[in-house]
Amino acid sequence: MISPIRSSALRSLNNNSKRLFSSNLPLLKSTYDSPDFKHYLNSSKGANNKSKDFTYFMVGSYGLLGAAAAKSTVEAFLSTMSASADVLAMAKVEVKLNAIPLGKNVVVKWQGKPVFIRHRTSHEIDEANDIDISTLRDPQNDSDRVKNPEWLIMLGICTHLGCVPIGEAGDFGGWFCPCHGSHYDISGRIRKGPAPLNLEIPQYEFADEETLVVG
Amino acid sequence: MYTQIYNLIFKRNSTFVATVFASTFLFQVGLDETVTSWYEARNKGKLWSDLKPKILAGFESEEDDE
Repeated sequence: MISPIRSSALRSLNNNSKRLFSSNLPLLKSTYDSPDFKHYLNSSKGANNKSKDFTYFMVGSYGLLGAAAAKSTVEAFLSTMSASADVLAMAKVEVKLNAIPLGKNVVVKWQGKPVFIRHRTSHEIDEANDIDISTLRDPQNDSDRVKNPEWLIMLGICTHLGCVPIGEAGDFGGWFCPCHGSHYDISGRIRKGPAPLNLEIPQYEFADEETLVVG
Repeated sequence: MYTQIYNLIFKRNSTFVATVFASTFLFQVGLDETVTSWYEARNKGKLWSDLKPKILAGFESEEDDE
C-alpha cells in the first residue's frame, strides 16, 4: 500500500529524468515547498575568512595556554629531582695548592670520601711515566690520570674493599692498603695485591694557578 | 587578508600546531621578561643586586675596624 503523498513523491521522482544522488534524494522526495531563508541569512558570512580565523585563533590561544601550563608543570616536576643549591654547594671542595709543599700528600674530605692530593716531584713524574703499561693489571697512562702532572688527585678508597690506603708506603713508592695488602704506585695504579682497579680519579679542575676545585 | 592568514596557518594542522608551539615559546619568554621587570621595578632598592655593594662595603669596613 502506498500512501497518496508517497505516491506523488514517487511520481515526481519518475518525472525527473535527471540523475539522482543520495544527497538530493530527500529534497526530491519532499512534495512540500521549503521556505526560503536566504533573506535571514548573514550575507557577509563566507565572503572572507574573518569568523573562521577568529574561531581558530581562539582555539589556538587555548592550545598556547595549555602548552605553556603543561611545560611549566613538567619543568616543576623535573626541577624537584635535580639537586638543590645547598646540596650543590656542599658537593664541591676548594683546596689551596700553594700550602702543599713538593713531595707531600694531603688528604681532604669530599662528599664524605677522602681525596688524596700529591704534589709530585719531577723524579716521581718520570717514575710514573717510565712504566710499560701493558704489564699493568689496569693499564692506564699517567697522562690519562692527571691534568697537571705535578698534581695527582684521586679518591683515597682502595678499589678492593674500600679501605683507605696509606700514603708514601708500599713496594712502589705510592700507596699501600693495610687491609689486604694492595700496592699502588706513584700514579695510583694497582701494582700488587688483590685490588682489581687503579685508584679512582674524581672530577676536578684548577680554578686558577693555586686553587683546586674537586667536584 | 583573512583568507591569507587562513591559508597560511589554519588550513593545515601541521602549520597550526607549529604556530601554537612557536608562539608558546615566545609567550613564555615574553611573560617571564614582563613579570621579572615588573617585579624588579616594584621592589627597587630592596633587591640583592641593589644591596650587594652596600653590604659588602660595610663588611669590609668592619673588618678594617678590627
